[in-house]
Amino acid sequence: MGQGERYYRTELAIIGSGLAGFAASVFALARGIASAQVGNTGAVAYTTGYLDLLGSCRGLWLDDPWQGLELLRESEPRHPLSRIGRTAIQAAFDQFSGALTEMGVGYTAPAERNHLALTPAGTVKPTLSVPQTMLPGIEARKAGVRTLIIDILGLQGFSAKEFVANIRSSWPQLSTAKLSFPDMESGGQVFPEVMARALEVSSHRERFAERIKAALGDARLVGMPAIMGIHHPDRVHAELQRLVGVPLFEIPTMPPAVPGIRLREMFEQGFPAKGLTLVPQQKVKRLVLEAGRATLYLQDSFGEVMIESKAAILASGRFLSGGLTAERGGVREALLDIPVTQPESRADWYRQDYFDPLGHPVNRSGVEVDSSFRPLGPDGEPVNHRLFAAGILLAHHDWVRQRCGAGVAIASAHKAVEAVADMLKEQ
Amino acid sequence: MVSGIETFETEVLIIGGGVTGTGVMRDLALRGIHCLLIDRRDLNAGASGGNHGLLHSGGRYAASDSETAAECRQEGDILRQVAPDCIDDCGGMFIAVEGDDPGFAERFPGYCEAAGIDCESLSPAQAREREPALSDKLFAAYAIPDATVDPFRLTLENVNHAQQLTDSLFLPHTAVESFEIANGVITGVLCRNTKTGGMRRILVRQVVNAAGAWSMDVARRAGCSDVSLLYSKGTLIISNTRITDRVINRLRPPGDGDILVPGGTVSLLGTTSDNVDDLEDIRPTVAEVERVLIEGTAMLPCLEGTRFIRAFSGVRPLLLPAQNTADGRSASRGFTLFDHRDQGLENFATVTGGKLTTFRLMAEKTGDLVARRLGNSRPCKTATEPLPSGNAVRWTEPGFAPRFWYRRNDPTDMILCECEMVPQSAIDSIIESAPGAESEMTLQAIGVRSRVGKGSCQGSFCSIRVTSHLYDRGVYDSARGLHSMRDFLSGRFKGVQPILWGEQMPQIELSEALHCSLMGLDRLDGKANDPEKEGSG
Amino acid sequence: MKSTLAYKESVIDFKAKADELLPEGASYDSCLNCGLCSSGCPASGLEGMDPRRFIRMAMLGMNEELSTTPWVWTCTQCKRCMYICPMSIDVSLLVGLARGAWPEDKKPSGIVRSCQAQLLDSGTSAMGLRSEDFIEIVEETADEVRQEDERFKDIKVPIDKQGAYFFVNQNSREPAAEPEELAPLWKIFEYVGADWTYASKGWAAENFCMFTGDDEAWKRMVRQRVDAVNDLGCKVWVNTECGHSFYTIWKGVERFGLRANFEMGSLVSYYAQWIREGKLPVNADWNTGGIKFTLQDPCQLVRKSIGDPVADDLRFVARKLVGEENFIDMQPCRSANYCCGGGGGFLQAGMKEQRHAYGKRKFDQIMTTQAGYVLTPCHNCHSQIEDIGGHFGGDYRVVHFWTLICLSLGILGENERKYLGPELAEVGL
Repeated sequence: MGQGERYYRTELAIIGSGLAGFAASVFALARGIASAQVGNTGAVAYTTGYLDLLGSCRGLWLDDPWQGLELLRESEPRHPLSRIGRTAIQAAFDQFSGALTEMGVGYTAPAERNHLALTPAGTVKPTLSVPQTMLPGIEARKAGVRTLIIDILGLQGFSAKEFVANIRSSWPQLSTAKLSFPDMESGGQVFPEVMARALEVSSHRERFAERIKAALGDARLVGMPAIMGIHHPDRVHAELQRLVGVPLFEIPTMPPAVPGIRLREMFEQGFPAKGLTLVPQQKVKRLVLEAGRATLYLQDSFGEVMIESKAAILASGRFLSGGLTAERGGVREALLDIPVTQPESRADWYRQDYFDPLGHPVNRSGVEVDSSFRPLGPDGEPVNHRLFAAGILLAHHDWVRQRCGAGVAIASAHKAVEAVADMLKEQ
Repeated sequence: MVSGIETFETEVLIIGGGVTGTGVMRDLALRGIHCLLIDRRDLNAGASGGNHGLLHSGGRYAASDSETAAECRQEGDILRQVAPDCIDDCGGMFIAVEGDDPGFAERFPGYCEAAGIDCESLSPAQAREREPALSDKLFAAYAIPDATVDPFRLTLENVNHAQQLTDSLFLPHTAVESFEIANGVITGVLCRNTKTGGMRRILVRQVVNAAGAWSMDVARRAGCSDVSLLYSKGTLIISNTRITDRVINRLRPPGDGDILVPGGTVSLLGTTSDNVDDLEDIRPTVAEVERVLIEGTAMLPCLEGTRFIRAFSGVRPLLLPAQNTADGRSASRGFTLFDHRDQGLENFATVTGGKLTTFRLMAEKTGDLVARRLGNSRPCKTATEPLPSGNAVRWTEPGFAPRFWYRRNDPTDMILCECEMVPQSAIDSIIESAPGAESEMTLQAIGVRSRVGKGSCQGSFCSIRVTSHLYDRGVYDSARGLHSMRDFLSGRFKGVQPILWGEQMPQIELSEALHCSLMGLDRLDGKANDPEKEGSG
Repeated sequence: MKSTLAYKESVIDFKAKADELLPEGASYDSCLNCGLCSSGCPASGLEGMDPRRFIRMAMLGMNEELSTTPWVWTCTQCKRCMYICPMSIDVSLLVGLARGAWPEDKKPSGIVRSCQAQLLDSGTSAMGLRSEDFIEIVEETADEVRQEDERFKDIKVPIDKQGAYFFVNQNSREPAAEPEELAPLWKIFEYVGADWTYASKGWAAENFCMFTGDDEAWKRMVRQRVDAVNDLGCKVWVNTECGHSFYTIWKGVERFGLRANFEMGSLVSYYAQWIREGKLPVNADWNTGGIKFTLQDPCQLVRKSIGDPVADDLRFVARKLVGEENFIDMQPCRSANYCCGGGGGFLQAGMKEQRHAYGKRKFDQIMTTQAGYVLTPCHNCHSQIEDIGGHFGGDYRVVHFWTLICLSLGILGENERKYLGPELAEVGL
């Protein structure tokens, strides 16, 4: 091998470092399947932190996502979530949210009902599992608790006044305050990530807590943009609450935001420690499927990396993550040119109204899979018996409009890993 | 909803906030006349904002319409003198590529000479040295003195100057409902505020109809049937960066995709020409984009891989002599001033047709008529009086805001639109004192007055940042701010939708996630916001 | 409105350069404007700039501003922006280009002088240490070691040994300022029985020419060193505990198409290998007080060069040395680590206030670990982390790996403990 070349051999190669890829790694690790995860991140860096299972079906918000799944099975039988049993979906969500909690970012266990989670605009959205740091606000809105919402000098795209003006009708007892963050008082731009890291230092927490206390008034709770630490949010949350003396909660913010960075760094830290080979942030250049093996080729700054595996899961995401590419003539799958189900022509990709509640047809384009979640080739047969697919790359869903991104990612990753395990067992 | 009628009084009501209407406004104000300018939407909402910003050398019309060509040349020279801040004197080129008519190329210098337009013959090698992006299939090239002009800046400066001169006023979102006419004289114009639904009565001495494509409709409301227009829809696409330094024209009779015009930091490729009957909901389509792109690629092969960020359409009001059913390309690009005397009206004038390059001349002729009717004998000054530069109206120039911000070097002046690097101070000055600031300054209105939302993310991020800033400033205190953001993004999407492929797809995927999943803007209406009250079972 | 044509000739066209130099799909044109790069960059806010702004200004044709902003000297070219970016856009490459376009007399004089010093002598030392002085210092110091420690009375410190397996480079700081710090490294080589040599030519590690943005000087520097290794016929060029010297040679060979008849390796990987092979039987028995250690991943060695494999080696060695429970990672770390602010010539650039502001994130990271020591195999990291500790009032020390290895093996001399605290002054003597 030349300078910089590296070679790994493993049982399972997971292509993609988004939610589906990470979920697949969680499930594979739990099953003791030796795995390598590669491929650069996409949408996960921009997540709110909420894990949606299914928030909307037939244009209606869902209070009960499980019942929603039943509705979905009837109206959209080809939807990825319609092709996975409820028990499996529940097990997948339980396992994944549990793994996140165990790895350092506490999540609520999936329950029977959706939470109505808070957005920075002061709107709400139905979601199944939320970070523990965000839970108190969701509950406080339900109970109508008198709450102080703070925003921070120099933090763009989050205004406490905006939040309050838009949520006031369902949560009247709110007050606002603008605070400056310790050592970032100049009035210049501040980033949530930088404040979150600073709050991991006790002296910053103490000073910031003092400022919150001074603004508290008669509020019994405090909401703030998501800045409570990157690596130990629950610890930072608890410490800050102790210092301020009232419960606190986070509200997600626009990118570049903390929740996505939290998850990404947690995985990047946690997985190698668990024995997973992780080559994040590099696009897979080639995937070669041969008798007996699947080999991935990628290039990092130092040279070529080769990963030989017995099975591969394609979880490369959509356009943002590079799993799909959109040419003027049509949508293509980027790595193997697997057929993509899609509208007839580019003119049909989008509806005229951006916010059309029906969503856009191109969002439902994607890769078709068989019952074992093997992607199908042009002949309608699996491309290869070693190749599986998971995540929003799959066809027949609209993860944004249906609020089912995490649901599709987690459930299909679970399904694919099960199928991989079966395949490995057979051999 | 309606609570009484607001009444305004002015010497001259000008209908239509495009470059012609605002040009008339300034022309009259320079003669000391008070004007009230109204638009059913906002400044440059029609063809003035829907064109490629070309300051024609006249070369395009040299072959077919030497009168228009000469007019373009003269007016171009005047604007270079009086409004240099609005103009990028970048030069232009006419090129012919394999498959184009060599005969036309050979005759071109002669046409230019006839219209008095400088025309320098270039060898293919010279042309490609000046503009490396040109096709190697190029066989003839001529340099001509094309330039570009920022129509938004022109319009804003016109209004701003008129406000300074005679306290003239601009009212956006004001649509003409009916004319109050007595004895051949319009005494008042009844309008509707299209935002609030409220009525406005404007008492007038003179009325100028400069409503562009809508001028036929306005004239008919005044009972005049002499204005007959052909609506020609043109679609253009905007690239993420500037592709050529100069204007590149295809050396052949006008057709789709035959011109690439620099727009400061971007380039605009256009245009199509299709007759339409209806002026409402004009939007670019995928098919039109394909047409301009395929043709444009013949001149500039790199367009094949270029990232485009937006398409837009404008409707050219082309004057149609009665019984003429000619297509849009061959109809006259000249303009006409109707005094409507033969329609029985004494104080009504319509100016229509023409083009961006000749707007000043149109305004001058109109101004002469109106001033004479008012008994004002002062001459037109717009050919010599420089257009001043107002603080709140400088922000439409690509690259101005970032340079201003960079030089100012104030770390607390945060950038709200990162693509175009528009700082908070720019937004604040627009809210406080740009034309139209008297009424609600929505995101859309800020967009018309700045580069906000014009960059590669097309408003995805800055809409959120600016909206938060507006709430912080107290401009909004209700859900109205979010609705305004949603409307702004819906508006941007019209132009984004037909160019969605390639590198713009990750951008829109991220945008949708932001606007729907993070902000919930697809669920703003009514009960959908709260499933507890709605229930799915 | 002025035409952009007028500026064309004199100034770099950053957008065109980005198109030319960056891979397809990762050029500035692909930027989503999401700001992850800026959020994750310690130089954001300095001089009013950040990586996203750099990209946008390039796209908006603000070439003059980009050619003159002092921000390019505060960006350490650590490539964290590229690592974070969903489109993998590399901002640092054009930062280097912008640096190179500065008039020589306007560039930070500290960096320029260091580069000039390197070009003066075949030893290529940025501290101006001439080869004959280097050899003399090495020999004198070796003699002292032989006299002071019976166990090393025959220690070999070869110079210009033809055909030696390892060609070992040396940061100038030790021979020029603290020669006693040379000895631990030699002892380790002696301990494992390595076949190694210093060279009288091209021995120095540091390369400030790269930081001046002057590609020609960088190339010249790398060529001298590559020639020196080729001439001695060594199998492996070993980069000792210095960060950018690895990147400068590895990348330089690739970038300038030089022929290197040898492999390039990091000493860290060999530490790990020798420990695994039992040749370096280190343990944490000496750390009876449970002193906590953290680790700084040098960007130049980890993110910009070898990546996580060497970061894993670093952790393996560190854990063995200080004890599993006494090792606390900074967050983020490995390839995602923050630059400390000592790289890219920042330490020599004379922009102290900006450098401290940059280093604040690193300081906070260290504070979060509550470690008493920071281990790092990089001299620039070492100096910067010490400096920000002093500036912000951090109660920690910075230490080389070789010090702890020798400490653990019981072979660290009394005068080789400059960077250790009083609690370790006597341990193992």
